[in-house]
Amino acid sequence: MYRVIVANKAVLTPWEVSGKIDYDNLVEKFGTKPLNHGDLDRMRDHSGRFHFMLRRGVFYSHRDLDKILDHHDRGGKFSLYTGRGPSGPVHLGHLIPWIFTKHLQDTYGSKLLFQFTDDEKMLLKEDLDETITSHWVHENALDLMALGFDPDNTEFIVNMRHASKLFPIALKVAKKITGSTMRAVFGFNDQSNLGMMFFPSMQAAPCFLESERAGEPVPCLIPAGIDQDPYWRLTRDIARKLGYPKPAQIHGRMLPGLTGTAKMSSSQPETAIYMTDVPELVEKKIEYANVPEDRANCPLFQFHYFLLTESDEEVEWIRDACTSNRRSCLECKIELAEDVNRFLKAHRRRKKLIGKSVETMLE
Amino acid sequence: MTDEPKQEMVVTPWEVKGDIDYDKLIEQFGVSRMTPEIEDKIAEHAGYKHLQLRRGVYLSHRDTEWWIKEYEKGNKVGLYTGRGPSGNVHLGHLVPWFFCAYLQKAFGADMYFQMTDDEKFLHRADLSLDEAVSYAYENALDVIACGMAPGKTHIFSDTEDIEHLYKIALRVAKKVTFSTAKAVFGLTDSDNIGKIWYPAMQAMTCFLESDREGRNIPCLIPAAIDQDPYWRVTRDIAQKLGYYKPAQIHAKFLPGLAEGGKMSASQPETAIFTTDPPKKAGKKVMRAFTGGRPTVEEQRDLGGRPEICNVYAYFYFLFEDDDKALVERETSCKNGEILCGHCKKELAKRVESFLTDFQEKREAAREVLDEYLIKPVE
Repeated sequence: MYRVIVANKAVLTPWEVSGKIDYDNLVEKFGTKPLNHGDLDRMRDHSGRFHFMLRRGVFYSHRDLDKILDHHDRGGKFSLYTGRGPSGPVHLGHLIPWIFTKHLQDTYGSKLLFQFTDDEKMLLKEDLDETITSHWVHENALDLMALGFDPDNTEFIVNMRHASKLFPIALKVAKKITGSTMRAVFGFNDQSNLGMMFFPSMQAAPCFLESERAGEPVPCLIPAGIDQDPYWRLTRDIARKLGYPKPAQIHGRMLPGLTGTAKMSSSQPETAIYMTDVPELVEKKIEYANVPEDRANCPLFQFHYFLLTESDEEVEWIRDACTSNRRSCLECKIELAEDVNRFLKAHRRRKKLIGKSVETMLE
Repeated sequence: MTDEPKQEMVVTPWEVKGDIDYDKLIEQFGVSRMTPEIEDKIAEHAGYKHLQLRRGVYLSHRDTEWWIKEYEKGNKVGLYTGRGPSGNVHLGHLVPWFFCAYLQKAFGADMYFQMTDDEKFLHRADLSLDEAVSYAYENALDVIACGMAPGKTHIFSDTEDIEHLYKIALRVAKKVTFSTAKAVFGLTDSDNIGKIWYPAMQAMTCFLESDREGRNIPCLIPAAIDQDPYWRVTRDIAQKLGYYKPAQIHAKFLPGLAEGGKMSASQPETAIFTTDPPKKAGKKVMRAFTGGRPTVEEQRDLGGRPEICNVYAYFYFLFEDDDKALVERETSCKNGEILCGHCKKELAKRVESFLTDFQEKREAAREVLDEYLIKPVE
């Protein structure tokens, strides 16, 4: 499978035909590097298995991953960093980088820094206060931990609670970024509030936190959607100026929305399946999902491909049944709804088991 | 005054230069002139009229009557001032702090004292964050030595105590746009984003006590008038955030040992630092700029000019509490009866004995520093 998908670009892959995002073009446009055989082989050797998201090119591009792997081979530690804005429930699209991050933590024993950007949410949304973000911090943290992260090796940083961890580093970062850079990179303007102007330095700070704590360079790897790359490019630039290792990234593709949008998005709730959706709602959402005439372009197939169906044989069967007209859309949708509900049920069960221990982690 | 052409006045939170025209500043900033009624009210509550009130140090204000009235109604009132810790403290810095200690005692107010180490770090290319933070703690000793009340004084560092401050600063920052910051503070696109954010940190302290106590507490800020732009912005957003507008009482700039401007730490030769060995401080006084004439004869004939004399200014603002003695000195100087050397020697003696005493208090403050640092809300 890996040979087919990664090595031979002529093969039909879901994203190439989605028409919404040209992922190869993004690599070129952003100047990132595609993951090559060498990188993939090394990661497979390190973990002892070939994670399906690598096999299928869900994660497909990087910056300085090779340096991170070299550092690991020399016996060095690196940290993982990702995060979330806690303004609502988690949807399936959010889980993709998290599941992959968990694989990286298992493989490399890396500490995960997980940032909740409640400050950003508060600054952007008119009606959001801390009671609301606190609720979602707790809920989302459970969703994350339900994926099996090592609690002893995972640190939550809730910006409004834990500002003291980040602020000194954020100030150093902020001193190196001008207002004009904010305009160019983030599209801020004179109407942007002062908090938003500063916020990118709070988001950059965790990249350097472990180095600061250790008093020696501890590289940081960020697994994220490739759409995030421009942001991290700026942070890499700052890292050089401040003498920290540049944060490395491994870039993923995005799970499309139910309506065929390029990305499942909380800002368009009709595109998303939330971890909190009840089974009937999941069935409905999938039943009404937008399926294109061109079956190869079906967003629903990508749910299997990105997330639900790890077996390559099975995923091939699903695709084949569709493209060869052996199975109707309705049948396919019913099965997908069952798979999603099974997945959600198992996830909720794991969330319950975690229970209160997450509160200590969030203190 | 002198015949030299006037230098253009520049007054911003970061820069004060030129010949200061206070009437123009009052008009420009849209603040109210200080009144004898307010001064008397303060004196009434304090039990005496502080020399700084008698000498017109406080030239203007905003809502100070309201703040006093709230106190008279039996409501709790608070004070806020601060310092950008980028070096040692000089005698000019102590003037408002002595006054704060006086107000604190008179009104039983809690004092929130902000060390803006973040601002200093962000504004100065040559200052590291660690340096700024260590000055914050070093300077806190001076604040304490000015006689602030233990248990009612909450000194904090923006950098070290951000966990108590960040949420309120965010609420402020949300209400202030970049374009407002540009218009009020003269910020531009090429300023760093820390500087752009910083006004939220300085404004935040106006609401800190209210936030910590869970009820609205009127806040009065005694500070030099160059800080006014911060309070203008803060007053504009206070009500949107559900707080009282902060009141201010504005101090004049104090002349240094060199001519013009305020006693500035960025021109060290012009200032006497609280950490200067007393003898060295005395020598600085002996080298001070005065209003004396070029020759003894001229001085005897024409008399000195206390109005431009820095030695006189030190007596005026800090070292001569006795109004009668001050007037005598002024008259004798103007009449050419005393020479500059005479005043310098007397001032040097007072500065030396002041510093000896102050430095003792400052060292004692090290032992009790922790009692004066901000604590988490219980």
